[in-house]
Amino acid sequence: MIQVQNLSKHFSVRNPQKGNFSLLKNFVSRDSRILKAVDDVSFKVNRGEIVGYLGPNGAGKSTTIKMLTGLLVPTSGHLEVNGFVPWKSRQAYVSRIGAVFGQRSTLWWDLPVIESLELLQFIYKIPSATFKQNLEHFTKILGLDEFLNSPARSLSLGQRMRADLCAALLHNPDLLFLDEPTIGLDVVAKERIREFILHINATQETTVVLTTHDLADVQKLCKRAMIIDHGKLLFDGALETLQTRFGGLRQLVVDFALPYADLEVEGANLVSRDGNRAVYAFSREQLSASELIRRLSERFSIQDISVLEPDIEATIRLIYEQNLLGAT
Amino acid sequence: MTYRAATVAGLTTNIFFGLLRASVLLALLNAQRVNGWDSNDAVTYVVLTQAIMMFVSIFGWTDLMNAVYRGEIATDLLRPMGLFGFWFAQDVGRALAALLLRGVTILVISSLLFHIKIPSSVAQFLALLLSMLLALTISFAIRFIYNLSAFWSPDARGFARFVSVIGTFASGFLMPLRFFPDWMQQILNFTPFPHIMNTIIEIYVGSISGNQVLEALLVQTLWAALLVVLAQIILSRASKRLVILGG
Ligand SMILES: Nc1ncnc2c1ncn2[C@@H]1O[C@H](COP(=O)(O)OP(=O)(O)OP(=O)(O)O)[C@@H](O)[C@H]1O
Ligand SMILES: [Mg+2]
Repeated sequence: MIQVQNLSKHFSVRNPQKGNFSLLKNFVSRDSRILKAVDDVSFKVNRGEIVGYLGPNGAGKSTTIKMLTGLLVPTSGHLEVNGFVPWKSRQAYVSRIGAVFGQRSTLWWDLPVIESLELLQFIYKIPSATFKQNLEHFTKILGLDEFLNSPARSLSLGQRMRADLCAALLHNPDLLFLDEPTIGLDVVAKERIREFILHINATQETTVVLTTHDLADVQKLCKRAMIIDHGKLLFDGALETLQTRFGGLRQLVVDFALPYADLEVEGANLVSRDGNRAVYAFSREQLSASELIRRLSERFSIQDISVLEPDIEATIRLIYEQNLLGAT
Repeated sequence: MTYRAATVAGLTTNIFFGLLRASVLLALLNAQRVNGWDSNDAVTYVVLTQAIMMFVSIFGWTDLMNAVYRGEIATDLLRPMGLFGFWFAQDVGRALAALLLRGVTILVISSLLFHIKIPSSVAQFLALLLSMLLALTISFAIRFIYNLSAFWSPDARGFARFVSVIGTFASGFLMPLRFFPDWMQQILNFTPFPHIMNTIIEIYVGSISGNQVLEALLVQTLWAALLVVLAQIILSRASKRLVILGG
């Protein structure tokens, strides 16, 4: 469905001139450097996949999405989606995709939402039966009823995002690009949007590529993740692999029956203790959970016990911060 | 409510400047005929130009340019539609609203104050309508093209202003073109600007008729076609240079 080979996008950015007459110098200066926003990236996405495209701020996510949606012409490399080279046959291509940019609405600001949607029906030449059915269906799942007749500019962020999502899917696109679709939303709104994406993916086999800084999105939606930083693709694979390869430590939370003085145990770190509750951290490679529990129960009387898997958020933070994948 | 207030304010300004321009022109004419026009023609000219100046956006237009700079153009490009057609459709809507709300009001109010001419035959009226449609097309194509310069320059507003100023002068909005020296009229005839306003004026006032009207409409059509094609060519170049900011 999506084929990307050695894709790069370089921007030439001016070096600001300092000192006297800096304004004038800026104007005449040819002094610029190349910024590799996306640098030699290759990947494939199959039909029906939901792929999370992750990376810290300025990593090159939006730039990639812009190239995939035909908004930017790549500096070099090959890009083919759905049999199209996006920027070459823009009009034909965009009629088969949907896109939501969390930071920017695609609805007409002054029009009531419903009129924007009707305008889209006209622009995408959506048969009225399909339009009616989709509108009814999406309105129900996304809960658009309350603001269908309000102008887009009066909507709250969460309402706007839901309306945008509906707008992007009315024409039953094969592919959906989401650039930070949950940015700034509350937990309930996020959940609603995730449910909707899952539903569309399950019922229509829509392929989804999404960028986000909310790892709960990824955990909930994606089996596969790609991580980009400084324009380079650092990881592409199953979310689980990411967790087992770079996962931080697992945690064991224990409630003891009695107030013991010394809770240290071999093979695990005592992270914290609060009354009779203690938290141990241990690594998957060195110690199994059952072995740790056995060691503890040999010495102490235990009331309750639970194991916490390292969450993806901690894992990915670790990857960014400690440069585990070896970005340059 | 604020919208209505703005309309009234706009109309008042428009009529004030209309009166100003009419008195200057009448003082210049000094009750004589100049190049075939009498004072009645001159007043009609002023009223007509005041009535259609918003219709053809004589002072320029930078909405498209702003959409490019703000990155909003991305939204348009994500739709399966041609950029030119989409913006033109919007501009036709805007122009019609300007014509019906402002233009007609100005004509009506002015005709109560002055004796102004009105088209005397159906043929003249139809020619007028066609000429206005072509004028709008030409005006839009020119505006579209200078707005596209935003794809090349981080501040194309200066260029837009420059073309607009040339336009107010070369279209016959500041002064009837027939009052210009011959050589200047001939130079301007090699540009599309007279077809934004002057052709409409000449047809309305009736200072050209019969074959001259047909000839004017033909030339206007050719300019419209040429500029629309040119706009498309520049657009296809521009979209390859596109840089969408933000995200
Ligand atoms: N038009 C441009 N001109 C110059 N540099 C640009 C341009 N667009 C993006 N960049 C740079 O390219 C890099 C990647 O930007 P991009 O928007 O793709 O990041 P991102 O991964 O989407 O980040 P975020 O999570 O903050 O949205 C950044 O360093 C940015 O400053
Ligand atoms: Mg981004």
